[in-house]
Amino acid sequence: MTITETAPDTEPGPATVSSLEALATGTDHVFLGRVWAVAGGLFLLLSLAVGILVGIERINLDGADLFGSGDEVFQFWSFYRVGLVLLALVPLLIGLATAVIPLQVGASSIVFPRAAALALWTWLIGAAVTAVGFLADGGLGTPNAGSQREAIALTMVGLLLVITGVLLATVCILTTLVVARVPGMTLRRIPYFSWSMLVAGTLWLVTLPVLAANAVLAYVDLRGRTAVHFGAEDAIWDQFSWAFTHPQVYALSVPLIGIAFDIVPVTAGLRQRNHDVVLAAIGLFGAIGFGAYAQSFFDTPGTPVMEEALYVVSAFLAVPLVLVLLGGLADSLQRGAANFKGRPPAPLVLSLLSMLLLLVGTVVGAVRSIAPFELLERSTTGAQMTFTIGAALVGVIAGMLWWGDRITGRKAPQGLGLLAGLVVSAGVLVIGLSDTITGFLGMNDFFGIDEVTAGSPDGGVEVLNGVAAFGSLLLLAGVLAWVLVEWRRLKGSEADADPWGGHTLEWATSPVSVTSERPLLDAAAVPDEGAS
Amino acid sequence: MIDTTLPAPPARPRTLMVGATMATGAVVMFFGGLFAVYFSMRADAMAWGSEWYPEGAIQLSPGGMNMATLTVSTVAMAWATHSVARNDRIHTYLALALTAVMGIAMINQTVFYLNDIALPVDYSISTTLLFTIVGAHMVMVGVGVLWLGVLLLRAFGGQDTSRHRDLVSAAALYWYASVAVYSVIWIGIYIGK
Repeated sequence: MTITETAPDTEPGPATVSSLEALATGTDHVFLGRVWAVAGGLFLLLSLAVGILVGIERINLDGADLFGSGDEVFQFWSFYRVGLVLLALVPLLIGLATAVIPLQVGASSIVFPRAAALALWTWLIGAAVTAVGFLADGGLGTPNAGSQREAIALTMVGLLLVITGVLLATVCILTTLVVARVPGMTLRRIPYFSWSMLVAGTLWLVTLPVLAANAVLAYVDLRGRTAVHFGAEDAIWDQFSWAFTHPQVYALSVPLIGIAFDIVPVTAGLRQRNHDVVLAAIGLFGAIGFGAYAQSFFDTPGTPVMEEALYVVSAFLAVPLVLVLLGGLADSLQRGAANFKGRPPAPLVLSLLSMLLLLVGTVVGAVRSIAPFELLERSTTGAQMTFTIGAALVGVIAGMLWWGDRITGRKAPQGLGLLAGLVVSAGVLVIGLSDTITGFLGMNDFFGIDEVTAGSPDGGVEVLNGVAAFGSLLLLAGVLAWVLVEWRRLKGSEADADPWGGHTLEWATSPVSVTSERPLLDAAAVPDEGAS
Repeated sequence: MIDTTLPAPPARPRTLMVGATMATGAVVMFFGGLFAVYFSMRADAMAWGSEWYPEGAIQLSPGGMNMATLTVSTVAMAWATHSVARNDRIHTYLALALTAVMGIAMINQTVFYLNDIALPVDYSISTTLLFTIVGAHMVMVGVGVLWLGVLLLRAFGGQDTSRHRDLVSAAALYWYASVAVYSVIWIGIYIGK
């Protein structure tokens, strides 16, 4: 007997998914990483635009040129800091980590993909609410109680959502690092960027909840009644400021070290020497970045936390640690000098620049903590933040130029990327140096609209403030150029699977076994006399 | 001689436990921040000879009852993890339900106490801190109760088994952390006043 089966005329195709549905329901780690990065980039542009306005306002210290009052200046000044850190840098780092880390450890996807998507949307909604809170005359309070209390409460809610989203994303990334590594990849063998995110993420998990506690206290105190203490408008920023100054800024910049150490040895074509020392130095740098204790708002009278040994020692310890790490990079560059042909690649230049900016930031931080200079409340505080956060931003640009081909499958114009990174670095340098000098000249971190609030600084400050405003313009121009790079990448040609000759798993084009921290180097059996 | 020993099963990464440990750690740090503020401001007030709470305002009994309730709930939670590991569904139902009921009882007692206390939230710094910390902990326990409810539904559906018990273990970790946090509240606020 013959059985005849009639095949259907057409095979059922895959269900069509609208782009909006795909955006809202996507859980692929590369996709999530890209959305994090795009959203972080948009908030970066917004923050930098606000920074330019504040910079222009600061040129004339005796009067309001752009804003209506000192309170308005304060709202924009504080938004610039909050935006730069929590709405821009942290999401950019999370985006890079979400996309790259599963590939680096050989995982097929990020662990808890739906939680990772929830984290993204929680953060995004929180970031929008935070921005609206600031624009609706709220923010983190004002010195003269000139803001809307309901809008301040809205800002608190937004910040809590932002922190929740960041923490949830961090849990997903760290869990991927801990449990989803391929066999053979011990924690000592994970790539440097993954290691630095492990360190940074751990610090975020233990410090950002403390910031959330500050927000909840302020919210409970100001909501619907006269504030007793924590929700007083002139007190809110003082409770939050620790998250944007020394030493917490180091916790935010740790990943740039990992980016540099993933890029430099590969471009030098050799294995990083003293691997364990580098891991330990990154861990120690992260440890000194624990800043939740440094809340001067809760100082016991007579014993300010900024004059305590831990605070001062951590400021001084950061400098030799970064020098040790730079020494490691310099060693690789020196040993691999013969391998360089032609111009150095853009990610190499930018990652080294980011490390140098970080070094300058730590030096400024150490100088700031020397009591006789009386710089703790001066604009040097902002200078240290600019150098450190700016360094991390340059590191992110280097990282995107390095891993972008792998993440997007498209080539970026590396020359334009290099130019963008250089302009951003120049902007950071100009702002940071100007603010450091104005700090020595006696200008306060927050300057207000009168000389007294500005700390009655010496002459020449306003010229330097003009220079800093120019630096802000450079910074924005550099970031716009970077956005253009990424835009052109979308239309770029197809990228090679391993354009750099990478050493770690994200560049693997065929299965490899992991027997060291550089599995692809082992697989290629490259003779390496300098290995530790 | 032929080796008949079976190879050891591959170590199963306890993904949920690792994630839950990190998340619970973050929650504990949240309370750590609140406690640091509470104890540092209390110490300052004491050093200046100021009154922290009015005499007799904080009663030990409600806090003690809650502490006792939560302590017993840890036994019930341990019973649940033990039962699920042994595929004992009836005991799993009972233990999870009992833990959840004790959590609800604790929330009920706390709400009653916060309504009963003669101090408004904006009476002083100490009362603002009291309401924030106790309220936040109540939310923590509430989240735990919801989690237990989900586990109970999964158990009814036959999804909490010895092979899939990590969600129960993760909930237990979170629950123990909430009890540990409450023990600090009990000692620091209700006993230490």
